[in-house]
Amino acid sequence: MKESLRGPLIAILALIAVPALAGETPVLVAVVSQQAGILSLVDAEAGRVAGEIRLPRVPAAVAATSDGRLLYVTHPDLGLVTPVDVAARRAGASFAVGKEPFGIAVIEDGRALLVSDWSADALVRIDAATGRETGRTSIGRSPAGLVVAARTGYAYVADRESNQVSVVDIATMQRAATIPTGRAPFALALSPDGGELYVANVQSNDLSIIDTASATETARIRIGLMPYGVAVTADGARIAVTSQQSGKVALLDRATRKIVTEMKVGEYPEGAVIAGDRLIVANWADDSLCIVGLLQPAPACDGRVPVAAGPRMMAVVPPARD
Amino acid sequence: MLERLVIALVLLLFPAALPAHGPTPQRADETLAIPASPDTVWKLVSSFGGIGQWHKLVTKVTATGGDAAGAERVLTLEKGEITEGLDEVDAGAKRISYRLLKENAQALPVSFYTATIEVKPAGDGSEVAWSARFYRADTSNFPPDELNDEAAIAAMTDFIKQGLEGLKAKAGGS
Repeated sequence: MKESLRGPLIAILALIAVPALAGETPVLVAVVSQQAGILSLVDAEAGRVAGEIRLPRVPAAVAATSDGRLLYVTHPDLGLVTPVDVAARRAGASFAVGKEPFGIAVIEDGRALLVSDWSADALVRIDAATGRETGRTSIGRSPAGLVVAARTGYAYVADRESNQVSVVDIATMQRAATIPTGRAPFALALSPDGGELYVANVQSNDLSIIDTASATETARIRIGLMPYGVAVTADGARIAVTSQQSGKVALLDRATRKIVTEMKVGEYPEGAVIAGDRLIVANWADDSLCIVGLLQPAPACDGRVPVAAGPRMMAVVPPARD
Repeated sequence: MLERLVIALVLLLFPAALPAHGPTPQRADETLAIPASPDTVWKLVSSFGGIGQWHKLVTKVTATGGDAAGAERVLTLEKGEITEGLDEVDAGAKRISYRLLKENAQALPVSFYTATIEVKPAGDGSEVAWSARFYRADTSNFPPDELNDEAAIAAMTDFIKQGLEGLKAKAGGS
């Protein structure tokens, strides 16, 4: 497409899109800025920061409840987890979790949390209301990213220094399997049908594709330098992977296992989430988000949103239900 | 206090016992104008095993694999050796990306880093941008002062600044 046409076309598309969404609550993305100690709520549609919440020092990962009312943020350096009230834009009292709580997921309709403990090599289950530990299992070394398959009740944890994913049965808090991956797995994402798990391997510069039914790695795709973030489109057709040291995002086609698009997004891109037809990437060294319209013929950073220093991990906040 | 002593002792005895890195990255980012052509500066930067010729903190280099991705170099610094690996060479953009493969907290108090050096034309000469993303040497929650975030930032910034000054001197800049 000619460069001169792109601007007006985007403007027209934006006009068409706006009426359909009028009156609806915007989808927010929670962005954790680690250096600044700030959680930003970003309206990805409008491309602006809708709220900023000051957190205790060095926040890392974030997870949202399915009703979009609460967020939980880990602070590995402090051994704390902080709850955040989305509507009130307010952080609640932090509670102690393990030694270095890092990855986090909300389970059981918000009644419990799962937290990976980086230095205890464990997955910990927490009562969300009291902050009390209600379960624990030993997994591999330096567990980082964590995702939950609601349908099967399994949690998948990237054991970074063990080069594997641990599969944990949440009901019993027992490890059901370990799956070898590339070197230093960090971030992971599930396909919408739960059939495939995508694992970004930071040190081996590739993405492991895992068949969840057989708990085996079925493909390993070369991505770029230091893959740090992974997200899947709502239809499961595309997988977005950031390459932190290459400053790029690759879009992988699920069916062909081929990279269909690769784009420069900024300096040290890390976290990636997909909200609707938008891919949001956190550029750690640029202190900004890059917003990519996935329906564009040539996806690129259509929008940039400045955020507080050191954005890394993110979570999509589901629209609040009444 | 006792805890710090124990950590220091453990580090002294078993530097390899440290985890590869913890969860809080830091950054150093320096640029310097060099009054020499980008080609001249790029020739120095892209010679992966040649860093000892212009970086005064590097007393000796043992390199394998040439100047292509996958090459490795062992740098001897004042207090010990570190090993770096070359990840990517983009001759068009005059940019190299490399990473720390084998750490040594005594030689350089960081536990892991990736770094990029890029040479850009600027006026009649060049501008060199050198950035690194790294972790403190002791990634536990109670690092002693010499292995904490501040120590890592100071050491990395100094290494980069001295490297840029060395490049400038070697490239024939005034």
